[in-house]
Amino acid sequence: MTLELDSVSHRYGGDLAVDDVSFGVDPGELVGVVGPSGCGKTTLVRAIAGHLHPTAGRVLLRGRDVTGDPPESRRIGLGFQESTLYPHMTVAENVAYGVAARDDGPERREGVVSEHLELVGLADEREAYPGSLSGGQRRRVELARALAPEPDLLVLDEPLSALDRALRTRLREEIDRLHRETGVTTLFVTHDQTDALALSDRLVVMARGRVAAVGTPRELYESPPTPFVASFLGRSTVVRGRLVGTSPPRVAIGDTELTVEGGNTDRSVGETVTCHARPRRLSVRSDDGTASDGDGTASDGDGTASDGDGTASDGNGTASDGNGTASDGNGTASDGDGTASDDGASSQSLRGEVLAVEDAGRRYNVRVAVASDEELLIERTAAPPSVGESVAVDFPDGSVTLFGTDFEASGDPEGGTAATPPVRRD
Amino acid sequence: MSRETSRSDPASLRRPELLVPALLGGLVVVYVLVPVVAFLSRTGTAGVVAGLSEPGAQTAIRNSLLTAPVATAVATVSGVPLAYVLARRSFPGKRLVESLVVLPLVLPPVVGGAMLLTAVGRFTPIGRVAAAAGLPLTGSLLGVVLAQTFVAAPFVVVTARAGFGAIDERLEHASRSLGYGPVATFRNVSLPLARGSIIAGVVLTFARAIGEFGATMMVAYNPRTMPTRIWVKFISGGIDEIVPVAVALLVVALVVLTAVQRVGRVSTVVDR
Repeated sequence: MTLELDSVSHRYGGDLAVDDVSFGVDPGELVGVVGPSGCGKTTLVRAIAGHLHPTAGRVLLRGRDVTGDPPESRRIGLGFQESTLYPHMTVAENVAYGVAARDDGPERREGVVSEHLELVGLADEREAYPGSLSGGQRRRVELARALAPEPDLLVLDEPLSALDRALRTRLREEIDRLHRETGVTTLFVTHDQTDALALSDRLVVMARGRVAAVGTPRELYESPPTPFVASFLGRSTVVRGRLVGTSPPRVAIGDTELTVEGGNTDRSVGETVTCHARPRRLSVRSDDGTASDGDGTASDGDGTASDGDGTASDGNGTASDGNGTASDGNGTASDGDGTASDDGASSQSLRGEVLAVEDAGRRYNVRVAVASDEELLIERTAAPPSVGESVAVDFPDGSVTLFGTDFEASGDPEGGTAATPPVRRD
Repeated sequence: MSRETSRSDPASLRRPELLVPALLGGLVVVYVLVPVVAFLSRTGTAGVVAGLSEPGAQTAIRNSLLTAPVATAVATVSGVPLAYVLARRSFPGKRLVESLVVLPLVLPPVVGGAMLLTAVGRFTPIGRVAAAAGLPLTGSLLGVVLAQTFVAAPFVVVTARAGFGAIDERLEHASRSLGYGPVATFRNVSLPLARGSIIAGVVLTFARAIGEFGATMMVAYNPRTMPTRIWVKFISGGIDEIVPVAVALLVVALVVLTAVQRVGRVSTVVDR
């Protein structure tokens, strides 16, 4: 293991900034550490790099305890949020700085510098001073400077945070490329869940100085282990109900039952549970009380096109008939579901009424009232239902994670700034 | 200054928003300029060359040129590290240290000199030991250096501290992580980046030291420096008597200022 943190804690005076943090980074891995600001990420970076001696715990690099070692002996490359290039040195001198400290001759140094400037595409700027570079170029020189001494571990502390969105995406790709080309073990620290989800092989979610979860981005996004992780990593929508069966779990919501296919729970039957889902994983189809019109079933794979058809069919019966027939085969299945739920049997959809449709530019946020006092948020890319329409909301396999009733209570208040808080109606 | 800027300057001053600050600023310039011109207009009648050829004047100039650089060096060698510590660390009693550092600035120099006398005077333990060792701390060039350092040291500490404080600490962290120890990091990163401030502090310290009179008069009335000779001459002969040495003092100060600023400007070109 390249880096291992063993129960690291740090106190600033009376404030516990990092609380018993343990995780490891394997050779070649890119691990993201993500959490709201103030969760102890930067303290952790300083402890790993050696700029701070943690109050308790051990930092191991390549299996060796380096907790008491000074930064200069750790072979860690650092990148910061603000440029730390030396303004009194040229680009080439900046990149050569770390190489010279581990010197093996000026000739080899020259080669290493050129190689790394080419790696970040800035070979032409070698004689320039950092002050004359653009923000993105500076960031890249900084990466070259950190990589040139061939560190065992590259630690990037919010490297993208000070950049505008377009540049940010470009540099994110650049970091990804550098990681693939050099194979350098990387720890990427950020408060931005988008950056973290996009870059990381593995993700460490932190909250209030502690590790809240460790896993692959998809695991944590799709099946968050805790409510905090759920709300921090992306938009959430929740609906509350009573657990009436397990494997697969079934939840009574109002007078209908939702089957959570692909889910599991350690709650017992009779408890109140919170069903959590990502709004973009849910689909909504019109539900006029009789048969469902193909829209919902098709929307999963081919959302945009069939959505359009679906809407047209409401206004124009004849035209949509052909369409309706085609999807009838599919429709039958959901028909069955629809009828079944009327009988009180369990299905993977909930009926409700569209409360509001908000056009957010690249998507529509559809709010649907289900059961008596629950509200769901569904994202649609096109053709939203109209307000007041009766609809059925489909929950695909694996889209629902069950929590207890503590969903709102345990969301970090600061998490709300970075992630959309769960949508609920009071 | 090139002709171009001098031509554009009045134009920019004509802009109404700069009128008030320009007028107020002009007051200060005139206020300084008038006495200087009035004083220097006496050089013709005072016989600067004759005055400077007196042995007493030459000794005073020599003494000042010996002591002020030494005082500046002492203040810089100890003051710059102190400034770095103050800029980088918080520790118990830091406020007290900071207050002590600027105390000589608020103290009348004569009082500072009196304080020095009570610490290192001939009849104090320190003064006795030093005198016995053949290095009297009062009435000697060493005494002059002590007085000048006491009064002038705050300038380099305060200015250098601001310079170090303006450097993002992460630049130093990056240097450490790139393989350099604390001393090498200070030399390679902190010092060059604070260079402009340190030079400005050194200039101010030197200017203060070479012009130091109040504390010097208390600690070492003899041997004479330029300021003490100016005082003695004024008491005995009035304004015209002091013009030669005062002019010498002015020239020395200007030469040093220009020279150091030239060095400083070279560094800012490199800084870019």
